[in-house]
Amino acid sequence: MIRLESVTKRYGTETVAVRDASFDIAKGDFVFLVGPSGSGKSTLLRLINRQEQPERGEVWVAGQNVNEMAESRVPYLRRNMGNVFQDYKLLPNKTVFENVAFALEVIGKPRHVINRQVPVVLELVGLAGKEDRFPEQLSGGEQQRVSIARAFVNRPLIMLADEPTGNLDPATGEGIMALLEEINRTGTTVVMATHDHRVVNAMRKRVIQLDRGVIVRDQERGVYE
Amino acid sequence: MIARIAYAFREMWASFRRNLTLTIAAILTSAIALLLVGTTFLIQRAFDNLLVQWRGDVEMIVFVRSDATPEQISLIDQTIKAAPTIIDAEKLQYLDKTQSYEEAKRIFVGDPVTLSLLTPDNIPSQFKVVPITQDPELVRSLSEQYRSLPGVQDVALAEDEFQVISTLSRFVRTVTLVMSLVLLVVAVGLIWNTIRTAMFARRREIEVMKLVGATNWFIRVPFMLEGLLHGLLGGIASCGGLWVLNSAWSNGVAGFKPGTGISSLVVPSSYLTGVMLLILAIGALVGAVGSAIAASRFLDV
Repeated sequence: MIRLESVTKRYGTETVAVRDASFDIAKGDFVFLVGPSGSGKSTLLRLINRQEQPERGEVWVAGQNVNEMAESRVPYLRRNMGNVFQDYKLLPNKTVFENVAFALEVIGKPRHVINRQVPVVLELVGLAGKEDRFPEQLSGGEQQRVSIARAFVNRPLIMLADEPTGNLDPATGEGIMALLEEINRTGTTVVMATHDHRVVNAMRKRVIQLDRGVIVRDQERGVYE
Repeated sequence: MIARIAYAFREMWASFRRNLTLTIAAILTSAIALLLVGTTFLIQRAFDNLLVQWRGDVEMIVFVRSDATPEQISLIDQTIKAAPTIIDAEKLQYLDKTQSYEEAKRIFVGDPVTLSLLTPDNIPSQFKVVPITQDPELVRSLSEQYRSLPGVQDVALAEDEFQVISTLSRFVRTVTLVMSLVLLVVAVGLIWNTIRTAMFARRREIEVMKLVGATNWFIRVPFMLEGLLHGLLGGIASCGGLWVLNSAWSNGVAGFKPGTGISSLVVPSSYLTGVMLLILAIGALVGAVGSAIAASRFLDV
């Protein structure tokens, strides 16, 4: 599903964000990218959804070479990926329903599809009944659920999550992880960048560890260390 | 498809209202620029009315009495052609009564009293004479000679009548054209800036849109429509202004004494309509260009 071949990415001439990274993530995998801040976790995610282009190496997603893809094809690539962030990136002037619907609206889905799919996904993330709330009326955990709903409403092949529990207390974080695991069980590949030991150790999933841009460990059923 | 179009217009309108001060500035600037463009056209057309009979380097017009016989007319023709070193016989042009009447309609467009006295029957026909020589004295002496020919009503010289106006017209055209071009560039810049600001205000939305896979065109189109609307509204405002200006001018000119020339400085309403449509088109173009530049450059907010 996702394959990196000797990928190197530098910012400017000095900072090496990722050096010679290679890995292969199969369909339906759940993978943690771990490592301290600045070790290149986010850069890897941004390479996968083509917010960044590598300096060397190749990134393959769902059988397509992401780097050689025409600029005009990139939006269609991204429709196969849901993105979840530490700071949720919700639109404050839209309700819960509208935030989720927005993701379908801007890829041209008709109203009747939106009205059918949004309630289903809000039910899935446990926000049924809160459709008309605005983000500021929700707790952090609930806001993250909205953002997961938005990422998942189009049933993507891949979920990319960048520190999704970073702003949440441990109990709330566990709830978010349970949700991501449930999404993973539907067959969606999940790649999650985190430096949250507790989460990684509790889940026992594949762990790819980075240190200053270099992959130092790639382990099935790993822990954080 | 309908959902997408509805979306684009809804977003355009929302953004349009959110940024009202800058929007008004952009619209007013384009309106003033377009007003100037329109005025340039009208002034040019008005001067053209005055100069229409002198078009094509004509320096002398020999007016022939409406009751002149064909023999007299052909004598005049031969006399003029008999001075090939002074007169360009190739370019000598004879307007018969019908043609002269058509021309008079333009010259006296603002002077209906004079026009009503003319008919295709009583109007003088005319020879339009283009000289070869650079010496105005030679042309003038010829004109004296023609005046004494039978059937000639009068001989008019461009030098006496319209050289000044012709020069003035060129000057006014250049000045207004340069000014309106500068203002149009300013209008494009202001629309560009307004759209840039609108996009910056919505950078979070744009970021989300890009992440969930909205195409660049989908993101751009509402902003481009917004710029187009700025230009169009500016165009509509300037059309209103132009109409008011033209009506006031026409009314004022109508008060002048007939035959002073000033009274031909008006434009027919069909021409005014044409200029207005042109202004609307230019306005839309200015808006589209300004916003298209902004929308493609600032998508990576």
